[in-house]
Amino acid sequence: MNSNAAAENLQVIRTLMERAALYRRALAPITLFTGGVGVLAGIVAFFLHVETLRAFGTFWLGVAVVAVAGAFLLARRQSLKDREPFWSPPTRRVAQALLAPLTVGLLVSAISIAGASSQDKADVAMPVVWMLCYGCALHAAGFFAPRGVRLLGWFFILCACGVFCTLFFPEPLRNSAAANIVMGIFFGVVHLVYGTYLHFTEKQKDAA
Amino acid sequence: MSLEPSLQLDRVIHEKGRLAIMSLLAAAPKLSFTELRDTLNMTDGNITTHIRTLQEAGYVSVTKSFEGSRPLTTCALTESGRKAFASYINLLEQIVQRAKP
Repeated sequence: MNSNAAAENLQVIRTLMERAALYRRALAPITLFTGGVGVLAGIVAFFLHVETLRAFGTFWLGVAVVAVAGAFLLARRQSLKDREPFWSPPTRRVAQALLAPLTVGLLVSAISIAGASSQDKADVAMPVVWMLCYGCALHAAGFFAPRGVRLLGWFFILCACGVFCTLFFPEPLRNSAAANIVMGIFFGVVHLVYGTYLHFTEKQKDAA
Repeated sequence: MSLEPSLQLDRVIHEKGRLAIMSLLAAAPKLSFTELRDTLNMTDGNITTHIRTLQEAGYVSVTKSFEGSRPLTTCALTESGRKAFASYINLLEQIVQRAKP
């Protein structure tokens, strides 16, 4: 064996070892489900006038619980269908990467809700915090998942910075209605678009 | 007098398909049969043959269990498999190093 072939073999080994550590379970159904829940919740919150900070925080945390539970069930169903262990090392790594930023988001929300008076109105500040935490969580998880997840994380972080600027705008652009729209768009529509993209690209990869 | 590194390469591991299986298993404590098959785009028959060869060499252990009501076959590197893989990589590195001026 010559040195070029040996170097090539070493490269193949490195690539395969990296691939073994990646989370490869199909993300399209999970992303489409969370997107659907997000859009639906955005519409409900907008038309039901979820306005106070307490109601807004509680409502969207409830939506997050539904989305996480649904994602968990979908992942579990996939692992059963594919005859794979559910709590595999890549799944564990992704969960650990998600945990810290999502815990920060949860704690900040809980403190904000607990500290708010019943009169306090919601604005886009809380969605900004959630988008930042979620973006950081996706970015961290992206190191153990396909590259697109990390890019989606950056998208959320940059958009959160953009939405943060609207806090300096006049009232109608940063009130509770705007907050619900921001949540519906970013946690709903963006996930639906990304899920649709994954749906078609994952199918192409399967067919290849 | 020591042999050329390329002549010392373990023939069991050196085959392309088996090297791929060993590489994946070296990076994870254990992987299911389906995970290995799907990651490497191999057929059931092909991967079964390679795993059997590795098992006979004592490099891979195969465990059959149940996940819910479905059967689950998982593979893992044995201690001697890990050592053989490490020494295989070592030899490849020696071959690359020798070619450097």
